Order: sequence, then C-alpha cells, then structure tokens
Amino acid sequence: MPWRETPAELERARAERAFVVNAPTGRLFAVLTPPAPEAPPAELCVVLLTRPRSHRNRMWVEGARRLAAQGFTTIRVDYHGCGDSGGDSAQLDPNRPYRDDVVAVIRHAREQFGARRFVVSGACFDARTALSAFAQEGGSIVGLVFMAAPVMELDTVVRVHADSKDWAHLWRALFKPDNWRALGQPGRWKHMAAVLGRVTGKSVGAASELPLSAGFVDDFRALVRSGARALFLYGHEDAEYASFRVAERTVFATLPADVRARFDVEVWPGSVHGFLEMTRQRETFSRAVSWIEALHPGAQVAATAPDRARLSAAS
Amino acid sequence: MSPFGRAHSPPSSATLEHALTPPSSPAPAASTDAAELETPLFFEAAGRPLYGVYHPPALERPGAPVLVQCHGLGVEQIALYRAEVLNARAVAAAGIPVFRYHARGHGDSAGDFSAVDFAGLVEDALAAAAEARRLARREHTAWLGVRFGGLVAARALPADPTSRAIALWEPAHRPPDYFRGQLRSMLFSQVAQGERPDATVDQLVERLERDGRVDVHGYYLHRRIVDSSRDEDLSRSLATWSGPTLIVQIENRARLGPRTAGLVAELESRGAKVTSSIVRDEPGWHFTQNPAWECAPLVRETLRFLDALA
Repeated sequence: MPWRETPAELERARAERAFVVNAPTGRLFAVLTPPAPEAPPAELCVVLLTRPRSHRNRMWVEGARRLAAQGFTTIRVDYHGCGDSGGDSAQLDPNRPYRDDVVAVIRHAREQFGARRFVVSGACFDARTALSAFAQEGGSIVGLVFMAAPVMELDTVVRVHADSKDWAHLWRALFKPDNWRALGQPGRWKHMAAVLGRVTGKSVGAASELPLSAGFVDDFRALVRSGARALFLYGHEDAEYASFRVAERTVFATLPADVRARFDVEVWPGSVHGFLEMTRQRETFSRAVSWIEALHPGAQVAATAPDRARLSAAS
Repeated sequence: MSPFGRAHSPPSSATLEHALTPPSSPAPAASTDAAELETPLFFEAAGRPLYGVYHPPALERPGAPVLVQCHGLGVEQIALYRAEVLNARAVAAAGIPVFRYHARGHGDSAGDFSAVDFAGLVEDALAAAAEARRLARREHTAWLGVRFGGLVAARALPADPTSRAIALWEPAHRPPDYFRGQLRSMLFSQVAQGERPDATVDQLVERLERDGRVDVHGYYLHRRIVDSSRDEDLSRSLATWSGPTLIVQIENRARLGPRTAGLVAELESRGAKVTSSIVRDEPGWHFTQNPAWECAPLVRETLRFLDALA
C-alpha cells in the first residue's frame, strides 16, 4: 500500500525545521523532524541518507515522520552537490563515500540540537556513507542500517557477480530473446563478457583472494570497535550481494561471537537494490524503519527478521 | 543567435534558427557561493506546511519580479531537481529573486502523493507566489513551469494578477497524453533492460482505473491526479495570456513539436512576445541520474529571458 499520511505524521510535518550545516564540502541543506512530545523519548537521532534527501517515493520523509511520532529525532540531508545543497556535483562512487558530510551533520546535531546518540541508515552509496561515519563518530553511533551496498571496487563487483554464473546459466540465458535485445546496451556487453570470462575459467579468484574495498574494511573495523548494532540487508539477485558474500566469508567469519551477535544479516529472495518495484520497495522500507524502531528503549518487539514466506518474489 | 539555441517565433518547419545544444552540458559554475545566501523554510498553504527555499537577489535590481518555480510531478520533481536549483542560483545571482517550493505530497512538504490533485497543486503555486512576493518585497511574479508544473503555472498565472511573465521547460500540453507517455517510457525501459513488459499502455490505463494506481519505476501513479487533471490543456489555460513567454523544448530533435509550435503561434497571434528554443538533450525524466541531470544552456536561456524583463 502507498503511504497515507496519518494525523500524527502531519503533526510531525508541522514541527519540522529546515536548517543548514556548514560542512567542509559545502553548505548542506537539511530537515530536522523533532520527536513527538507526547511519545516516550528514544533519545536517538536517526540520520537518513540519500540524494535527494526525500528518497524515491519520499520514503525518508515518511520514515522520518513515522519515527518522530514514536519519539525519535530524525534528520534527512542533501549531500554537497545534490538537491538544495551547495558544492559541486560529481558521480557518486560507493567506495568514495561522503564521510565529511555525514560527520558534519552528526556534529551539527550534537551542538545545535543536543543529540547524543545516533543511528545512520542508507542503501548502496548511502549505506557506505553511513558506515564511513564510524571512523570518526563511532563512539556516538548505536545503530546502522546498511542496505544493498557494494563492498568491493565497482569493477570487481561486476566480475564477482559474473562469478556466480555457470554454463547452465549461460545456456538458459541464450534462449531468452530479451537478453539478446538487451545487448543493445554497452553495459550489458560488459557484463556478458565478464560472465563468459568466468565460465571459461577466467575467474577473479578464490574467495579468500577477492579484494574487498580497503575503505570498506577500514570502516567495518570502526563499526566493530564501536559497539553499535547493524542490519545488513541484501537481495540474492543483487550484484552487490555477490561482493557481500565475500565479506561474510572473510571479515564477518572472523568476528568474535559477541560482536557477530550485534549484526543482523538478512538476504531476501529477489532484489533489494533497485527500489524500482513498489512491493519490494515497501518491504525494504518497512524493514529498515522497523529495525530502527526496535532500538527504542521502550520497544516492545525485538528486531526480528520478516517471515521469508511473506516477502514478495521481487526480481 | 546564441550558441545554444534561441529563436524568436520560429515556424514549426524551422531548423537552422535553432542552434542546438550538445547532449551533455557542463554545469553552471559558482554553485557553492550562491548557496550562501539561500534560506530554506516552511510556509503554510491550505493549512499544511510546504517546504521552500528563498534565493535572495545578489544585487539590487528595482522592478524585477520574483521568479516562482513550479516543479514537475512525482519522480520528475526528483529527476530535474538539481537543474532547477542551479537555475534559481543563476537567476538570483543576476538580481532576480527566486522562490522554489515543494508542492503538497512532494519532497519535504506535508501530504501524501496519493491525495494530490490538480486544483491542490495550483493552490500551492498561488500560495508559494504570495510567500515569494512577501519575502522578496516584490509586486510582480514571473513563473517557471517544469513539465507537468507548466500546466500548474499556466493555471496559476491568470489567477494571480501580479503575473508578469512565464517560462516553460518542456511543458506537458495535455495530461492524458503526458500520462500515457509516462507509461510508454516505462515499457520502453523494461524492454531496454531485457524484460518483457507484462502489459500494454492501454492495459496499464485500465489497471489504473481499476486499482486506483499503477507502479511506474518505483513510483505510484494515482488515479486521483490523472482524473483531476484530465481536462487541463496548456493552450486553453494560456488563452487570455499575452505577456512575455519562454518555451524551451528539451528533446533530441531539431524542430519544435507541433503542439509547441502551435502554442507559439497562438500566443503570438494575441501579441505576446514569445521566445522559443530547443535544447537537444534527453534528461531521462523518470530516473535519477548519477550525477543528477544539469543543463547549463537551459539555465542560460532562462536567465536571458528573465534578464530582459527588468
């Protein structure tokens, strides 16, 4: 179902304040949604990241008001060079996250709004940016929602995704007319070449040799040190998941049990990354927000994974 | 003639009058400095808060109107957002104040998209114009309508006696055609991705009628906005208008489309001073690009038009 604004959410909209953060990268335009005064305070400030800050289908606007109605403070912000913000635009690369922006927002919220503990949330580039904040602000971040982000350099992600294919996959693909039509796109040719390379034995290497992005590894270590909880959410069909599987087999596998217990890893059937199909978009959004809701000290329900049988078969 | 496309009142068959832009355009410079002066805020419209950004003029220019920018519908608000921001910065830097806003059910404003109807969008545009004049202390309003926002601006314009000029970026002419085009582009993109569409445009329209909404690239298109705008017509909305008008066609073709050319002719027949131009580009109206779409020639052309007003 699409979002229907509730009276409580409209009240939170009335309470919102627009503000500006002077970051090293430019003037960042942001919106603060204060917690509902009648709700038990969560004492948490949730920073919702994407560009523009409202997110596809205004998911973060809905999320901000829903969380604020339950006692959370929320902030959504435009990165430099995006949306309303100053600074110059550039192609976003998940392996070059905008740490300066998110750290500037956290510090502004601490100084101007008295926020002390934070939750950061995003998908893909935004997830990597959220994770990157731990290097400088790990002591104040208690939760991370990390959705469908690549954890290798992008060229490696393409090759690793191709690594998940075999001759049977290739044979089936040859008989799909849509695949032939799709070869009109240069990017599809690149992918096909990578798949063929893998199937004919030119793999990128064994799992242990695969290079996770150095930036991801550093930021992941900062997350581990922080004591924060985290939700890692992927779809089986996401190209980004192929890279994350390597992280599961390497950096996750070596975690002490108590640290590993802080991290929820959910892999759903189909795709999570695109946000282009409404049913899956709503499922993903709902999961991210409910996971954050469960961080509320007064939450009655633990952050449990959704019943897989109830998930759509998004692809 | 400018290097990127400017022709006064061209016939629909004209080609050489429109020097054409390259497909990709560099961003206007100095965006950082311009942001220093801007003020984000909330204002009231029909009892609900709407988000807006006021761009004060960087220099005194008595007599200049304030520009009110009416964004596109749904995902198009997102896809063209940065282009509109950079336009506002360039115009304000030239001494013309600008007010951008998010209509109800869009961006950071209140309301949900499923409840948006055409009359509400016009109501918000008029409220934004009043807020803009208050902030800028100006008596006159110039309108910029982007895509579906062109229909909104064209309806607000005659309802606001302070209206002085209107600029239109690739305006929608008739909503039913606009919505069918949106559905068609979704099916094209599915084919381009190697997927077989599960419905025709007609079937999607039927689905919209039956279910009240249809999924378009991760956005719902709702029956309410479709039904409430069904009888709108850009040409009819501007039927009494004879003021300065800019129409920019943003398509990868060399001539003005027949509807745009017809609108130009109608306006000129009433004595309106019309500037039309073609920006040969394909922004991808329904997708957010990385980085977001920017178009310096479009900004320059809009600035040139507004510059001539005062």
